[in-house]
Amino acid sequence: MAAVSLSKSERAYIQSSLKAHPPLRADGRGLLDFRTVLLETGVAPLANGSARLNIGKMAREGGGGTEVVAAVKLEVEDVETGDGVDGGRVVCSVTCSPAAYSHLSSNALDELQHDLSVILQQTIAHPTLHPTLHPKNLTIIPRKKAWLLNLDAVVLADAGNVVDALFMAARAALWDAKVPRTRAVQYRAPETLKSPRNDAPGAMDVDEGTSGFDTRDMARTAADFELPDYWDEGEVLDGRDKWPICVTLNLLPSVHLLDATLAEEASIPLRLHLMFSFAPSAPPILQSMRLLGPAELELKDLKDSIAVGERYAKELFTALESKLREEDNRRNIKARDRFALMR
Amino acid sequence: MISFASFPATSEASGSYGTARHHPDVEDDVHMDLDDDDFEEGVQRLTVPGESITSSHAFMRGHGTYVDNEEVIASVAGTVERVNKLITVRAVRSRYNPEVGDLVVGRITEVQPRRWKVDANSRQDAVLMLSSVNLPGGIQRRKVESDELQMRTFFEEGDLLVAEVQAFFADGAMSLHTRSLRYGKLRNGQLVTVPPILIRRLKSHFVSLPCGVDLILGLNGYIWVSKHVKQSEQEGEEGFDAEAVYSNKNDEIDDATRAAIARVCNIIKVLAAHFVPLTDVVLLEAYEWAVDQENSVKDLLGDEVGENLVASIGLGIRP
Repeated sequence: MAAVSLSKSERAYIQSSLKAHPPLRADGRGLLDFRTVLLETGVAPLANGSARLNIGKMAREGGGGTEVVAAVKLEVEDVETGDGVDGGRVVCSVTCSPAAYSHLSSNALDELQHDLSVILQQTIAHPTLHPTLHPKNLTIIPRKKAWLLNLDAVVLADAGNVVDALFMAARAALWDAKVPRTRAVQYRAPETLKSPRNDAPGAMDVDEGTSGFDTRDMARTAADFELPDYWDEGEVLDGRDKWPICVTLNLLPSVHLLDATLAEEASIPLRLHLMFSFAPSAPPILQSMRLLGPAELELKDLKDSIAVGERYAKELFTALESKLREEDNRRNIKARDRFALMR
Repeated sequence: MISFASFPATSEASGSYGTARHHPDVEDDVHMDLDDDDFEEGVQRLTVPGESITSSHAFMRGHGTYVDNEEVIASVAGTVERVNKLITVRAVRSRYNPEVGDLVVGRITEVQPRRWKVDANSRQDAVLMLSSVNLPGGIQRRKVESDELQMRTFFEEGDLLVAEVQAFFADGAMSLHTRSLRYGKLRNGQLVTVPPILIRRLKSHFVSLPCGVDLILGLNGYIWVSKHVKQSEQEGEEGFDAEAVYSNKNDEIDDATRAAIARVCNIIKVLAAHFVPLTDVVLLEAYEWAVDQENSVKDLLGDEVGENLVASIGLGIRP
C-alpha cells in the first residue's frame, strides 16, 4: 500500500532471494510464515467492543510493526425519520495516521483511507452482497429504532500487510462487541393492560406491574425503550463466528508469500487479497477478492491461488479464533477479580 | 505458520514508576543534594524529560533544555553535556546530527538540476552535488552539459549510496561527496536501520565479517549489509569503471551468503532492540554466538534468543 522507495538492486536482491532454493526472506522467515501477531481486545473502555493488533513488533522495541486499533460503537437510530434502516446497519471507516504514512500528502492519505474503508465496508457490511453477515440483534424496536454499528479502525503504523491486519483487528473488535439489552416501553392507560400479548417474538419475562409504564412485550406498538441494569455489558453481537478475515497472497511468478514487509510489497508485482468467512458447520465463503498491481495473472493461476488462499485463511482463522477465546477468558477473570474486590 | 501473542504487560513499569515519585513539597528536599554538583568531567548524567538540571542563574540553557521557575529543565531523555556555562542535553533517540567527515548511507529522494537530494535520516535531506561525484572517464574530469542531462544514469530515485559529509549549507543541510572509490552506489545486499546514537565512531566503518559479509555502518543509523567484495575488485586503480560503479545489477550471490546476510541483519535488529551500541567487535562476537547456537535465522528474532544473545556478549540493559 505504501510506496517505499527501493533501489533497483535492492528489489532484484529481494526477488532473487525469494526465488532461491530454499527461499529466504530478509528476516529469515519462510514464505508462508507470519511475523508475530500481538492482539488485545477491550482496549477502549468507552467502545462497545475494541481490539488492538500489531504485526511484527520487535520484542522490547518501542515502536515497529503494523499497528491497527479497531473499535465498535453502537448508536441508536430512528427508523421512522429515515436516518436508520430497519434491522440496523453497519458502517465501517478506516483512518490512517499521518505518522504512519509520513511520505504521503494529505490528499494521498485521504485516498488511501477511502480505499481501505471501501474494502472493509464492502466486505463486511454490504447490504445486498453479504446479507448473511448482517447481525440479527441490531433491532431495538422493529420499524422504529435500530442500532447503528460504527466500526472504526485506525492504522497507527504500517510495516506491511496492512489489509490483513485491518481485517483481523476488525474481526476481533466485532467479536468483542456487546449489544446492550433493551426493553421496549410505552405509556398506556391502565385499562388497556388487560390483553398482554406474550406470544409475540422477543417476549421477556417481566414482573406484572400496575404502573402506567408497561414494559412487557409491545414490540409492535412500543414508542421507546429502556436499558435494564444487568451485570454485564450486554449480549454478544449475533453471528460473531462469521466475520471474514483477509489473507493476502503476494504473487511473484512461481512463488507466493504471506505477510510481506514494506520492502517486499514494493518489490512484488501482484497482490491478491482474499476475504474468507468460516461459519461453523458450513463451507467457507469467499466474501470478496481484490487483485492489485501491474502484473498479469491467468485465470488458471487465479483459481489455484484461491484454493491455497483458502487453506491459509483457515489456518489464520483457527489461530485467531483461539486467541480471541483466550482473550475472552482473560478478561472474564479480570472482571471477576475486580468484582470480588469491590464487594 | 502464524502465532498470536499478547502485548507485553505494562503493570510492572507503572509499579516501579510509583515508587520513584515524591510529593511536590518534599521533592526539593529529596533532590537537594543532587543539585549543582555532578558536572565534573567524565561523569555521565542521564535525564528524563521534565527533570530539573540546575539553576538558570548560574548556567545557560542549550539544546534539549528549557527554563521554568528559574531552573534549567531537560526537555528530552539523554545525557547532560556542559561547555563552560552552557548546558545541553543530547537526546538518546533523535535524528542524526551530522558532522563533517562522517560516513553516511543515504537514499536518493529527488533528482534536481545539478544535484541530488538524499535522505540520510537527518532533519533535512542532504544534498549531493553533481560536482561531488566521480564521473565516468577519469576522476579529474570537468563536468559537462551532457552529464547534467543524464544524471539518472548515475543515481536515480530510491538508489542507496554511501558518502561522506563534506560541508554544511547555511540552513544546516549537509552536503555529501562520493569522490572516493570506496564510496558510491550500493548493491548486493540489504539495508537495516537502527537509532543513529548506537553507531559508534570507529577507525573504519567498512567492516568485513569472516562469513563473507561486508558491513557499512553509516553514522546516520543506516547499515548496509552486503556480500563481500574483494579489495582488489573494489578499487579498480586507474581504470575507473563507470559501468561497475553505477550498475544496478547484483552479482551472483550464493544461498549461504544470503543466509549469512539475513542472519547479520537479524543480529543487528536484536542488538538495536536491546539498545546495544554496535561496533565491529560486538557484531563479530554476536555472529559467532549465533552460529554456535545453530539457530535458524528466523529464531534469532524471538524474545528469549535475543536476550541470550545480548547476555552472551555481556552487554545491554537487563530488565
